Parts: sequence; structure tokens; C-alpha cells
Amino acid sequence: MCERSENKGVGRRDFLRLAAKGAGGMALVMVGGGHSLVSANAVREGGADRRGPMEYDPSSHRYLYVIDIDKCIGCGSCVRACERENDVPKHFFRTWIERYQVSRTGEVFVDSPNGGHDSFEPSETGADISKAFFVPKLCNHCDSTPCVQLCPVGASFVSPEGVVLVDDKRCIGCSYCVQGCPYGSRFIHPTTHTASKCTLCYHRLVRGETTACVQNCPTGARMLGDARSLGDKVAEIVATSKVHVLKPELHTEPKCFYVNASREVR
Amino acid sequence: MEHTKHIWRAAFLLIAVLTFVIVGRHFLVPKSFGQAGYYRYDALFEHMDKEPRHGAPDACADCHDDIAAAKASGKHAPVQCEVCHDVLSSHIKDGDKFADMRINRNWELCAYCHQRLVGRPALIAQVDIREHLELASGQAIPAEACVQCHDKDAIHHP
Ligand code: HEC
Ligand code: HEC
Ligand code: HEC
Ligand code: HEC
Repeated sequence: MCERSENKGVGRRDFLRLAAKGAGGMALVMVGGGHSLVSANAVREGGADRRGPMEYDPSSHRYLYVIDIDKCIGCGSCVRACERENDVPKHFFRTWIERYQVSRTGEVFVDSPNGGHDSFEPSETGADISKAFFVPKLCNHCDSTPCVQLCPVGASFVSPEGVVLVDDKRCIGCSYCVQGCPYGSRFIHPTTHTASKCTLCYHRLVRGETTACVQNCPTGARMLGDARSLGDKVAEIVATSKVHVLKPELHTEPKCFYVNASREVR
Repeated sequence: MEHTKHIWRAAFLLIAVLTFVIVGRHFLVPKSFGQAGYYRYDALFEHMDKEPRHGAPDACADCHDDIAAAKASGKHAPVQCEVCHDVLSSHIKDGDKFADMRINRNWELCAYCHQRLVGRPALIAQVDIREHLELASGQAIPAEACVQCHDKDAIHHP
């Protein structure tokens, strides 16, 4: 037996095994590779396939979010507005506020009781606080986002406008993205068991309205802009002021910019 | 020619595998997947279809123009009605009132913004609630403390 197969070069069993491997490989190429071709075309055509509630072209927007720390009073109106707008379950947050208190000796105290939903109690650090401020946080809608790269089923994606969204019909709740997000902006929804996060109120944006958090901020600390809209004031802030992003060393390219952020802010 | 049957078997196997992959792919890869990227394009429209709860910033003024006008000329002008009350969709359906709007008279609502806090910028007027109410130590804050003096006209037009 052995000799015979050696003489013939490739035996029948070996041949079949190879053939199966080849076909399997081809199948993988077809399943995996096909999409990139389609995607390139669809994006180039720029939303030729327009659907949705009204005339709205995703590819003609690019949203930016700006937070001015000097204006944030830590009232929690944004957190409560987000909860009402998006049915965010209790004790989970799509946006939240952190209070930073820095002592003269450099100690940093950060707290966020119930995400700032009920604002803050007067502080009891007992330290000699030399500066303090509130930092609202939300999904940074990164251009180069780890959460989308980590998703094994293509449920996390970046919309043509640059908004990071979750397809909850496709999400399997593996929570890789929850662990992978450097900003802690995702959670597994306790009833749907799928990943949940800030959608930048996508359903409001497509209707020409701003996000719930921006609309309900009493001091204008939160701002939403559109880089593809001519003369946009918020895009102008990003273009002309000294803006900061969170964890720039990770090169996630956030679209959430902070004005007047101190170095303690992570 | 005795080997041709091997080729047929291999060809048959290849066709079987290909059919399996194509049929399997048809069922496993959802409709619209890959249309604009490595995701289900329809998911984008499902997000769009969600109905907003908050109204436009001037939504309440359609029916409460008196209060809206008073508020616009007072210091609470930058404070949205929905921050102190509730979302438009809890009160209005198809352009008509279908349920009462929440009225929150609790002092905590005012304290969210006006409690004096370390780190709270001076752009907002702040009071130490207990001092402002002249409470004795240990005395609980009455639930509707602030509206006793800051009545509804004062609140809408401070
Ligand atoms: C700063 C918080 C705040 C804002 C902003 C606010 N309200 Fe009120 N509103 C209250 C409170 C508190 C009461 C209850 C006052 C009371 O009964 O003493 C009230 C009462 C009312 C009432 C009942 C008045 C009545 O005659 O009994 C109406 C109607 C109302 N608000 C509408 C509005 C509208 C419309 C807006 C936006 C234009 C608005 N409110 C903005 C806090 C607010
Ligand atoms: C389509 C008209 C309409 C709009 C829009 C509207 N309301 Fe009303 N609202 C009414 C009517 C009608 C009443 C009951 C009659 C009255 O007392 O004035 C009412 C009553 C209220 C009351 C008293 C409590 C109650 O429900 O009877 C509050 C508070 C109130 N509205 C707040 C708001 C706020 C805040 C908004 C914006 C988010 C708003 N309303 C938008 C029609 C409207
Ligand atoms: C969402 C935040 C917010 C809430 C809630 C809120 N206010 Fe205000 N309030 C403001 C802002 C912003 C101003 C204008 C800035 C300033 O003068 O402090 C203001 C101004 C005032 C002023 C005038 C201060 C001055 O400079 O003379 C009074 C009084 C006041 N509010 C009372 C209240 C009372 C009473 C409540 C509870 C019913 C309340 N506010 C709820 C944000 C809020
Ligand atoms: C006993 C009546 C009374 C009660 C109760 C009361 N206030 Fe006042 N409040 C006043 C008076 C009087 C002023 C000064 C009015 C002015 O200067 O316009 C004032 C002013 C304020 C100011 C403006 C302070 C500033 O620096 O300009 C704020 C904010 C305020 N009150 C919030 C509240 C809050 C929040 C509550 C509930 C915890 C409350 N008040 C309860 C009577 C009261």
C-alpha cells in the first residue's frame, strides 16, 4: 500500500483531502472577501440608496462633538435626558459625568456617583483641593475604533457619518467590544443582553435635531457640530482652538473634543 | 481511461462543496450585509426609525406660548422645559395632549443646578441649600422647599 502510493505521487485520499482544503479556502475567500468590493462601490456612490424616515443623506454629514469643561456645572441634565430619550436602564450610562478634584499635593480624586444622574453632593475629600471640575463623557465615536475591529460578527460598525453604532439584531453579546473600549462607553444591556452605547441620538440627527444631551445642557458645555456643513460654529471651534482628545496615545482618533481640559483628565 | 472516474468524483465533490457554501452563505449572511461596509446596512435604517422622545427646543411654545415667552426673558431662558418637566412624548401624541405633564416640585431638581459645589463654575448662581433655607442642623429638607418662595412665575421667570 505504502509503496504504491509513493509511486503514484499523490494518493486518492491525499488528493481528496487537498481538494477539500482548497474548496474550503475558496469558500472563505468568497465569504470574507466579497464584501470589500461591494462596500467600496456603495460608499463611492454616496448614499445612492436613500431610505429612512426622510430625505437624508448620511454621506453628507460628519458629526463632531465638543465639550467645554469650563462651562460644565455637573447638573446631570444630560445624563437624565439621555436616559429618557434612549431608555437607558437604571445604573447604566451612555453618557455620564465625572468630578475631578485635585489637591495641592497632586492627589486626584475622581468620582461619579450614579454617573452624575442626580448631580453631586458637596465633596468630602478632606484634602486641600486646589482645582476641581466636571468632565462629561460619552462614546468618542473614534474613526479608528477598537470596538468595531473586535466585533466577531460585524454587529458594531461606523456609519457613513462616522457614528459608531451597534446592530442589536446581529450582536451576540460576547462583550469583546465592552472590554475593548478604552473609554468605557459600552455595556451589555441587562434585558436585551446585547451591547449598548451612545448612538449620538442617530434617530434625532436624521430628523435634523440635535442630541438629547446637547439640547438639554443648560450652559452650552456640550456642542454638536457637522464638519461637512459650511460655516459650522462647532467645527470652527475644533479647527481654531486648542482642543484635546482623551487618550491620544491610543490613536483611536476620537471625534469628541475637549476644550479647557486639564492634564488629569483621562 | 480508468482514472476518469477519479476526476468525476473530485468534480462532484467540488460542486457539492460549492453548492453547500453558496446555499449556506445565502442563509447565514443577512440581507444588506456588506452594502456599505462590513455590517448590515439595514441596521442603519432601524436606528433611524426610532421615534424621538424630546421635542424640538421650541415645541412647548406651540401651546404654552405665555410661559415660553416669560421664560425666554428670564434667567432660565437657557434651561429647556423638558429638563424640569419631562419629555414631549410623555404629554403629546399626534399633536394633542394625551397625558398630564410631570410637574417636579422637589427641591432636588433645583439643587441639581444650584447646590454650591467645589468645582462648579461661577457662571451659575449657587446656594448652600441648608443655609439658604435656614434649617437647624439635623432638620430634614422639606420636599417642596424651593417652590414655597420661588413660585411658578418666579421659576419660569427668575
Ligand atoms: C427650572 C425648571 C423649570 C423650567 C425650565 C420650566 N418649568 Fe414649568 N414648572 C416648574 C415647576 C417647579 C413648576 C411647579 C411650580 C409650582 O407649582 O409652584 C412648573 C409648573 C409648570 C406648569 C403648571 C403651571 C400651572 O399653572 O399650574 C406649566 C404648564 C409649565 N410649568 C410649563 C412649562 C413650560 C412650557 C416650560 C418651558 C417654556 C417650563 N414649564 C419650563 C419648573 C420649570
Ligand atoms: C399640543 C399642545 C401642547 C404642547 C405642544 C405642550 N402642551 Fe403642555 N399642556 C397642553 C394642554 C392642553 C394642557 C392642559 C390645559 C392647561 O391647563 O393649559 C397642558 C398642560 C401642561 C402642564 C400642566 C400639567 C398637565 O399636564 O395638565 C404642564 C406642566 C405642561 N403642559 C408642560 C408642557 C411642556 C414642558 C411641554 C413641552 C415639552 C408642553 N407642555 C407641550 C398642551 C400642550
Ligand atoms: C438645569 C439647570 C437648572 C435647574 C434645574 C434650575 N435652574 Fe435656576 N438657573 C439655571 C441657570 C442656567 C440660571 C441662569 C444663570 C444664573 O444666573 O445663575 C438660573 C438662574 C436661577 C435664578 C436666578 C439667579 C440670579 O442670578 O439671580 C434663580 C433664583 C433660580 N435659578 C432658581 C431656581 C429654582 C428655584 C429651581 C428649581 C425649581 C431652579 N432654579 C432650577 C439653571 C437651573
Ligand atoms: C424662604 C424663602 C425661600 C426659599 C424657601 C428658597 N429661597 Fe431661594 N431665594 C430667596 C430669596 C429672598 C432670594 C434672593 C432673591 C433675589 O436676590 O432675587 C433667593 C435667591 C435664590 C437664588 C439666587 C442666589 C444668588 O446668588 O443670586 C437661588 C439660586 C435660589 N434662591 C435657589 C433656591 C433653592 C434651590 C431653594 C430650595 C432649596 C430655595 N432657593 C428656596 C428665598 C427663598
